[in-house]
Amino acid sequence: MRPRGLLAALLAAVVLMATACASPPEPPKPTDESTASAAAVGFQAPDSPIVNLRIVFRTGSIDDPPGLHGLNALTALMIGAGGTETLGYDELAETLYPWSASISAQSDKEVTTVTGRVHRDHLEPFYAIFRDLIVAPRFDPADFERNRDRLRNAVVSTLRGNDDEELGKEALNALLYRGHPYEAPTMGTELGLEAITLDDVREFHARRYTRGNFLAGAGGGYPEGFLARVEADLRDSLPEAAAEQVELPAPRVLEGVELLVVEKEAIATAISIGFPIGVTRADDDFYPLLVANSYFGEHRTFNGLLMNVMRGQRGLNYGDYSYIENFIQAGGSRMPVPNIPRRQQFFSIWIRPVPHHNAHFALRQALRELQRLVEEGLSREDFEATRDFLLNYSQLYVQTTGRRLGYLMDARFYDTGFLVDEIRARLPALTVDDVNSAVRRHLRFDDLGVAAVTSNAGEFVERLLAGEPSPPTYNTQVGEDILAEDAEIVDYHIPFNMDRVQIVPVREMFRDIAAN
Amino acid sequence: MRSTAAVLLALLAGACAGGQGDDVFPFPVSVFELDNGLKVVAVEYDSPGIVAYYTVVRAGSRNEVEPGFSGYAHFFEHMMFRGTERYSTDAYNAVIKRMGADSNAFTTNDWTAYHFVASADALETIMEIESDRFLNLQYTEEDFRTEAGAILGEYNLNFSNPVALLQERLRARAFRFHPYGHTTLGLLEDIQAMPDNYDYSLEFYDRYYRPNNSIIVVVGDVDPVELQRLAEQYYGAWEPGDYEPLIPVEPPQTRPRSDSVTWPNPTLPFLMIGYHSPAFSDQTIDMPALDVLSQLLFGETAPLYRQLYLEEQVVDVLSGGALDSRDGGLFSIIARITDPGRIDYVRDAIIAGIDRFKAEPVDAQVLAATKSHMRYQFALGLDNPGGVARTLAHYLQLTADPETVNRVYRLYDAVTPDDIQHVAVTYFPETNRTDVTLTQAAPDADGEEAGQ
Repeated sequence: MRPRGLLAALLAAVVLMATACASPPEPPKPTDESTASAAAVGFQAPDSPIVNLRIVFRTGSIDDPPGLHGLNALTALMIGAGGTETLGYDELAETLYPWSASISAQSDKEVTTVTGRVHRDHLEPFYAIFRDLIVAPRFDPADFERNRDRLRNAVVSTLRGNDDEELGKEALNALLYRGHPYEAPTMGTELGLEAITLDDVREFHARRYTRGNFLAGAGGGYPEGFLARVEADLRDSLPEAAAEQVELPAPRVLEGVELLVVEKEAIATAISIGFPIGVTRADDDFYPLLVANSYFGEHRTFNGLLMNVMRGQRGLNYGDYSYIENFIQAGGSRMPVPNIPRRQQFFSIWIRPVPHHNAHFALRQALRELQRLVEEGLSREDFEATRDFLLNYSQLYVQTTGRRLGYLMDARFYDTGFLVDEIRARLPALTVDDVNSAVRRHLRFDDLGVAAVTSNAGEFVERLLAGEPSPPTYNTQVGEDILAEDAEIVDYHIPFNMDRVQIVPVREMFRDIAAN
Repeated sequence: MRSTAAVLLALLAGACAGGQGDDVFPFPVSVFELDNGLKVVAVEYDSPGIVAYYTVVRAGSRNEVEPGFSGYAHFFEHMMFRGTERYSTDAYNAVIKRMGADSNAFTTNDWTAYHFVASADALETIMEIESDRFLNLQYTEEDFRTEAGAILGEYNLNFSNPVALLQERLRARAFRFHPYGHTTLGLLEDIQAMPDNYDYSLEFYDRYYRPNNSIIVVVGDVDPVELQRLAEQYYGAWEPGDYEPLIPVEPPQTRPRSDSVTWPNPTLPFLMIGYHSPAFSDQTIDMPALDVLSQLLFGETAPLYRQLYLEEQVVDVLSGGALDSRDGGLFSIIARITDPGRIDYVRDAIIAGIDRFKAEPVDAQVLAATKSHMRYQFALGLDNPGGVARTLAHYLQLTADPETVNRVYRLYDAVTPDDIQHVAVTYFPETNRTDVTLTQAAPDADGEEAGQ
């Protein structure tokens, strides 16, 4: 598929032209960083009619007590979908409705974010409700029952039976972080959620939603002095108790290729691959890895190698991507949601569902490409093209005031500058050697976890472990170059650890921690 | 390249441009049309250095009129990334990569969109590569057959969700003739046969990928005069077409229809109900009144929503409404039911909730709150150039007129309690209803069900 001759010359001309045409846009708006304090971050856009509020608490699923997995998520939901001391949930909804204002809560492993969004016409009455939800939630028993069932249904119905891709990703998380505070799904486990009482929620809120444990943020068209008031209100109203941070142990060491297969009825096989890495946005090596990962598997674009060789050249599935940190797509966009920072991250490859008969081949191909990335690295041309891409593309991470605010707040978690500014400052100084040596330091292709969701799991595992050639089935004749490469892929050796192979019926996934 | 004669440069928009004070769309809009019929719409929006660029093709799965060829609008959207003589796939991707653009495409019942968000400096590059593939697309049969694998992959990932199955079954039951009877992805048997239908894909391109069936929308840091010059330069040679699809007319449904499907994995039961709804119009009150009614039934403050979701907690998902559509579509309702024994109860409660709006006029204050919600919801969605372009493109694909968005919101403001009662009576008789339930195929040996 590589252009040759005239096409290559045309490509070079096009690339030159595009380089000349495209330059990173200027930062769109001034910030009011001067109003920011240790517990507040602001991004004021006076012309915007919209105000976004984000309050980030250092509380996450790692703070769930043993046996009560889901307590953090449920407490957050009692804020995001509950009432205040003076307004029941239905009254609150009635008040917000004519303004089309929204309040929600997002949980992750280490932080929980309460988010509000309103037109500035209604900022003051909206803020009074938003504040009360955080400092004095209603904890209504009916809200509790509804929200607990909602989370439990998300585990036992949605995750187990309605979304194989998310199931594969959660299975990978459980495999990589077995015995680690990250192990449980953020939303909780079936038995954990069933065990939680309303008193548990009250106690958790009092312990985690404290005055020393929040970062307040505002973005958009809010007036002068508003953010300082938000910060003061929270500081004055939240309890003083110290919210201790859980010490994170190092994730367990993966030995060989460890395999977790979730068995269920499935029309195709979903695969996730990964391993913990010792790099976050706080580390210098994050930036060369960002370039390497974009080259290898940029999320949902044809810029990624995996997407080109697996989908583009072979039509194996809908898409194939990779990540160097936890990634959750924001709605229908292709950008990640902000405010899910973690102290420990993982590298992962997401192979979207592949017809069963090609699943073994797809796994082999992804791992072989990973090996080539580690051993051969990026070429200078690929490095330069990817770096230039990211310098422009990263500007699009923050197209809205809400997203920009989220990224500003994440910078506080990592104690770094604003991510987009860091990228703009650091990438031009990188060399291809920086990128390739960071890849060799942090990525690998042997000791890792593979999670798959499939039917007939026993036969699938048998095939994988036997290691027999796995020729793909295509819709069409493919070129000689692809056939030649396939000949190397079909018997690519995957060093499975026979003692770390597990088949789990889907009903047993996420019942509790021990079952995984 | 000849210059364009027909230029309709019009400032249509809101307060800052001197437009009508009650316009919901607040940004200046310029419109011009090339000789070949290509309409170009520019929206000046405060996003320094960034533009959103949408190419709207007014063809979707509605245009898949021949039996055995469902899914081709969507398949063709994929093929548009397979290159031209000038820009191979790799060359095209290299340009996109250098731009650092966020670019993708999607297909719906009625239209297909190809979109970018990128640096404003890259506008001419975008127009060059986009015009090239719209005018000169060229792909081999091998490329076509390979891409069919990606389509099957997309079907596979979608159909691990029971809602995809429900929607497929509901459409098939509700429509017997009109192409809305199949989903945009297409039927599995048609997808499996796609690799052998290369010639039909070329036919699809020839029929619908024409300037007089397309609209370009550019939002953000754009100069309308420069945009017009570039449009003439890059799109002026695009040949118009005259194909008119014969889209079957769906006769009125005369009695209720019902169906059920099972799901082989753990799931709570789902219920979907569809009522035939009218085609979109920015001239008549029916669709706007139905949109308001969907809020009155399924909005967060709606009595039915409160009853089933908050008080009785017999559903944990409940929503409904009608998509704007070129032809008569469906007002669809979906519920996920927390107790498998209460599917009939939920169905009856939904029907009773609708019947209340047939019998009694809605309270004026409730109606006013609903209209306020819809207007603010619209305003809150206009917070980035991509969102603005997407919103305007939606209305443009329906009528090709950017003023439609303002007309529709004026109609929302004009909806009366009588209008609500009228559409409740007109579109929700029992004979117009189709419902489909989805239940878990077989519980565990111990009788355990998913959810509670």
